[in-house]
Amino acid sequence: MSDSDSGRARGVLDRAAAGMLEASVLQRLAIATASTVAALAVGLLVVAAAGYDPAVFLRNVFEGAFGDSNAIARTLKFTSIFVLTGVSVAIAFRAGVFNIGVQGQFVVGGFATVISILWFAPMLPEGAVGGVALMVLGTLAAIVAGGAYAAFPGALKAYAGANEIITTIMLNFIAVGVVGFLVEGPFRGEGQRAPNTDRIPEYVELPQLVYDVPDFSILGLVVALVVVAVVAVVMARTGFGYDMVTSGHQEAAATYSGVDAKRTIVKTMTFSGMVAGVAGAVFAIMMQGYYSDPGGVATYGFDAIAVSLLAANNPLGVVPAGLLFGGLDSAGTHMRINSDVPVQLIDGIVGLVVLFVAAPELFRMAAERTGLGGEKR
Amino acid sequence: MASSTDRPPAVELRDITKRFGDVVANDGVDFTLEQGEVHALLGENGSGKTTLMSVLYGLYDKDAGTISIDGDVREFDSPRDAMDASVGMIHQHFQLVEPMTVLQNVVLGHEPTENGLVDEAAAREDVAAISDRYDFDVAQHLDTPIRDLDLGVRQRVEIVKSLYRGAEILVLDEPTAVLTPQEVEGLFDVMEELTAAGRSLVFITHKLGEAIEAADRITVLRDGEAVGTVSADDTSEQELARMMVGREVLFDREPRETTPGDPVFEAEKLRVRGDRGLERVRNVGFTVREGEILGIAGVQGNGQTELVEALTGLRSVESGTVRFHDEDVTTASRRRRIEAGIAYVPEDRHTQGLVLDYDLVRNALLGNQTIEPFAERSFIDWSAVRDHAESIVEEYDVQPPNPNAEAASLSGGNQQKFIVGREIEHDPDVMVASHPTRGVDIGSIEFIHDRLLDLRDAGLAIVFVSSKLAEIQKLSDRIAVMYEGEFVDTVDPDDVTEEELGLLMAGHDREADVDSTAVTADDGGGGDETPADETEPPASEDAPDGGAQS
Repeated sequence: MSDSDSGRARGVLDRAAAGMLEASVLQRLAIATASTVAALAVGLLVVAAAGYDPAVFLRNVFEGAFGDSNAIARTLKFTSIFVLTGVSVAIAFRAGVFNIGVQGQFVVGGFATVISILWFAPMLPEGAVGGVALMVLGTLAAIVAGGAYAAFPGALKAYAGANEIITTIMLNFIAVGVVGFLVEGPFRGEGQRAPNTDRIPEYVELPQLVYDVPDFSILGLVVALVVVAVVAVVMARTGFGYDMVTSGHQEAAATYSGVDAKRTIVKTMTFSGMVAGVAGAVFAIMMQGYYSDPGGVATYGFDAIAVSLLAANNPLGVVPAGLLFGGLDSAGTHMRINSDVPVQLIDGIVGLVVLFVAAPELFRMAAERTGLGGEKR
Repeated sequence: MASSTDRPPAVELRDITKRFGDVVANDGVDFTLEQGEVHALLGENGSGKTTLMSVLYGLYDKDAGTISIDGDVREFDSPRDAMDASVGMIHQHFQLVEPMTVLQNVVLGHEPTENGLVDEAAAREDVAAISDRYDFDVAQHLDTPIRDLDLGVRQRVEIVKSLYRGAEILVLDEPTAVLTPQEVEGLFDVMEELTAAGRSLVFITHKLGEAIEAADRITVLRDGEAVGTVSADDTSEQELARMMVGREVLFDREPRETTPGDPVFEAEKLRVRGDRGLERVRNVGFTVREGEILGIAGVQGNGQTELVEALTGLRSVESGTVRFHDEDVTTASRRRRIEAGIAYVPEDRHTQGLVLDYDLVRNALLGNQTIEPFAERSFIDWSAVRDHAESIVEEYDVQPPNPNAEAASLSGGNQQKFIVGREIEHDPDVMVASHPTRGVDIGSIEFIHDRLLDLRDAGLAIVFVSSKLAEIQKLSDRIAVMYEGEFVDTVDPDDVTEEELGLLMAGHDREADVDSTAVTADDGGGGDETPADETEPPASEDAPDGGAQS
């Protein structure tokens, strides 16, 4: 590359970064929507190039996501989990802490739920009352486990300077490996051929109120929305939230205002991990009913990063973003069975959406960190 | 001095003016860099040194004036234009890619190529030749990643990089700021080698001794104006200090109507380390009473920042104590000190005092997160915060009077008025104000001065740090002069001459005939200052440390 080229490229980057940094919430929303549409358009081109009819493909996507009550239930099921894991990521990113370990916290939380329910079940009465009590206990166990599993890399960052991106990624592998080992051996259910725990008792389940499907209850979505509301209030209306968000914006100003930067990092990670734990609990109770080798569990905690980025790390924005990802996942599940389009193509299109929607926000965050787009005044 | 008369000056800046909003950063500055000289540009933070050189380097568009290089008038739209005209700049923060090797860094963007591929052998040869020619000791590090090198070596790599790109004129922006004393000596040797080979250097610094040691000539900037240019051989640190801090007619000090009361804020035998682990505050002690302003004067970088951070809870102390009323707050957290009533107008309003992309309402909460009525248990009462922001904006004349305005959109003076207002409205017992008028327009300066005097009259104990002599003398009841981390003396502002302050700020004791014992602040007399003449010989004897405690 010649000199003038690199200078021009830098100029273009700078202008783009300045634009992204100054974009209002509405503009960012517009960018996210346009990105989604653009991703689908490119995806349809790929579909057409691969020799399939894009119109049929598009119809399949809609049917898979919203075609009938089964499809809608499936979409909302995935949405519930994406919203919870997405909020977990958003908490940390807003505070300038890069928790990439939501997947690990989600796995540890879900496993803790199943184990604690199995452990407490014999001590409590069967039936609805016992079921509710066990679900509460299981969720609390998930919150504690997820929070602790995130507090650890938080403390490593705050007090030992360990990069949280690296430690949380490594802790993901550790969580999957250790839980995988536990369900393989010590916690494998009696007579289970597959590496699974015992099933939790049948009365420990969220009641079917709207959709008659075994692995989704509208209450799961309600839990997710309640968590969103709680997180939004904490971020916007409490001193702790202000401390967190201010640390993410401008650490020196936060420190000046009396924020203890190190403790805030640990608190932020813990809070984020607690929400990831709730996601794990909902997954375990509502969707699975037991715990299996997490190596085979869907990567909700990773997709959550894209969900959060699409939502510009805004807890409320995570709801529509989670719905989009829930719909895409649901459509993918549907089309695997009902369409002749190869699975890889569907995954590729989901990947395109992730790339398109996450890239602008990622670029914005990178620009903020690296000073692209001009020094702050 | 190696100026040659047969060639036009390497750089000639005429009448350069640069404004940022309503603040004039450079006001009609003339500056001439002769061929082959080292020309120091001396001034306080915010005096316009870096702005002036950024104009030369094409980083800023000037509002007026001309730039001539080797006698030709040039217009620079970007650093690339400046580089093409053989002007190079070594920034304070090195622009090096840490995981990459020295060789890769030097040639980055200008790689010699053969058939489209980087010709590493040629690059290696060129870079080694430059390093050897100037005796830079960089050649043996060519394959070492930058991150494994000392800061002194990294700096030489930066210089080699500029030379590799053909720089004849080098601007060094505060090159000694990050170096150890040994590394500084090494840098001065390098600078000598460069001028011996005909290069011309601008050396930006705020350290008087370094300017005299390394430069041929010295131009002093103050408040965006060139105060004068002197030959390094014919000047002294006292003269330079005086030029830097100003010798304008002093403000009239209004007679005091109140007398200081009980001690409120005390420091004793304070020792504080700086970011690089060096001791920056050495055995400092003072007492500030109700209704009293203690001014801390000194050339920037003599430990004032670290002292203020230790007082306000942003930096832990090595030893010594800080007392607030009768409570030992040496280890109290920043938040604890805010709650106790120690307000702080920080030195850097952009990174500390404000969150730039928050509006004024959200900035009004900064520091108030745990203070009633804004905080009720864990929750924030945003309507109370909004009312607070509105009243600050109104009472402290913040323009535009719109609490929804983003902090970044305000001018420096208005940002500062907002911060001062917010801190005063804490209803504190102690106010620490660090350079509260730096980079602020004249009207806002007056406003901030008046508010500080009001606070004094209302019985607050105020610690006021500034490097502007005039305002220190106008506001302070006592002036402590800080030099290399120590209070060299504490003086009465009505009783001290500019010359004496200049001497103290350059690290010398005052003359023997001036009473150097601690001065109490109950003197309410008006100023009867007479401009002193310049017959002061530098104090050579090592008088005992001036008592800094009252």
